[in-house]
Amino acid sequence: MPENGESILELLRKHYEKPSMSEEAVSEMKRRIEKAKKEKRAMAKRRRMRGWTIAAALTLAVLILPNTSSSVAQAMANIPVLGGFFKVITFRNYQYKDERNVADVVVPEIRVEEKSDDSVSEKGKKTADEINAEIREITDRWVEEFKANMEGEGYQNLMIDSQVIAVTDDYFTLKLICFWAGGSGYEEDHFYTIDLKTGERIKLADLFKDGSDYKRVISDNIKEQMRKQMAENEGVSYWLDNEEYPEWNFNEITDDTSFYINENGEIVICFNEGEVAPAYMGTVEFTIPKEVVADIMK
Amino acid sequence: MFRSERTQDREKEEIVEQTVLRKYNSYYRMAMSFVHNGADAEDIVQEGAYKAIRNSGSLKCIEYAESWVYRIMMNEIYRRLKKRELKSIDDEDFPEPPVEDRYEDVDLIKALDSMPENDKAVIQLRYFEDLTLDEIAYILGENLSTVKSRLYRGLKKLRCEMDDAGLKGG
Repeated sequence: MPENGESILELLRKHYEKPSMSEEAVSEMKRRIEKAKKEKRAMAKRRRMRGWTIAAALTLAVLILPNTSSSVAQAMANIPVLGGFFKVITFRNYQYKDERNVADVVVPEIRVEEKSDDSVSEKGKKTADEINAEIREITDRWVEEFKANMEGEGYQNLMIDSQVIAVTDDYFTLKLICFWAGGSGYEEDHFYTIDLKTGERIKLADLFKDGSDYKRVISDNIKEQMRKQMAENEGVSYWLDNEEYPEWNFNEITDDTSFYINENGEIVICFNEGEVAPAYMGTVEFTIPKEVVADIMK
Repeated sequence: MFRSERTQDREKEEIVEQTVLRKYNSYYRMAMSFVHNGADAEDIVQEGAYKAIRNSGSLKCIEYAESWVYRIMMNEIYRRLKKRELKSIDDEDFPEPPVEDRYEDVDLIKALDSMPENDKAVIQLRYFEDLTLDEIAYILGENLSTVKSRLYRGLKKLRCEMDDAGLKGG
């Protein structure tokens, strides 16, 4: 047993320094590093796009894309009528293909059947115009970005499409899906929910009694679900309870958080990639059980 | 303004990446000294590398990149240890590391190993990774006097003489 303090530490240091990482483990580490970089780029890109949406609205840059390749002709009659007077038509308004760049943009439009001038269809027309304008702005912005990227050397793939989801007697939701791939994939969804009884667009707040803290109630339930999923499945991870980077943590939904109402009448909260979880988790949805919000709903 | 923010972020990212690629074995060794399991230690370093790059934007000062990454790695190690505690994994699942060298003193190794986590971390960061006490305080998120107490306590346990020169290095 050495008496001298220094050689005790030298001894322990030799023992400490024995292990080293295997080559495969180092390669895997490098892969995770690359993944982290990709996720960051996708998130930063999304933030920049948000900025551009606001800028576009302020400068009123109006892009008029001709509806020349409209495929609406195909039997308007075959398109289901929602709530008695809404129809969602789609048309392919931008298509492009070369060795490195591929785009297929199918834009939805909400049309209101010409009916009597009852107030519901009047409101419906206003709602449709508003939503259609927003959708055009979003898709125009994506197309502009796509065109700008063509000058670069990478490859890219833009796909925009839509779906009518969750149709009930009371609501329907139009989902706009924007998917962009260029090295890594990135999806961004937008949801528009319309109340078929009033013809108006529904915001989350509209479903709840005045003054109720619906955001907190819903967010608490989401956090419960997140924790449960993470406990049950190693592969699942959300930005929650992270002590080192609390600024990333999910805190509360906002008035603008995406949602729709499913066929069971339940509220489903939707987050885009990178909003509440690392990008590899993709877009995530949480169905809020009716009991949770029963006493604060209108 | 916009471009220079991006350039700054890229710079930070590069420095963090270089740091990780240079020091990964240090992190691995630190992890091994706590989890005693190669696969877990590798996971820790890989996860830590991912987090370091992912959050490189929040590195405030490029000069502190090394300590900053160490901190992330130590947190990852502690997170893994906590998980084990919760799962109440038996000690039998993780046999003690084999003593290969007949010059290795098992009692000493055990003494270091069984210290409270932060005491052990202080000894290792100070004498095996050659960091200053200020750096160690930042990495462990404790104040300097706490770190000093841990150092004294740890050395005492290892039956070392308090080496004036060693302590002045803080």
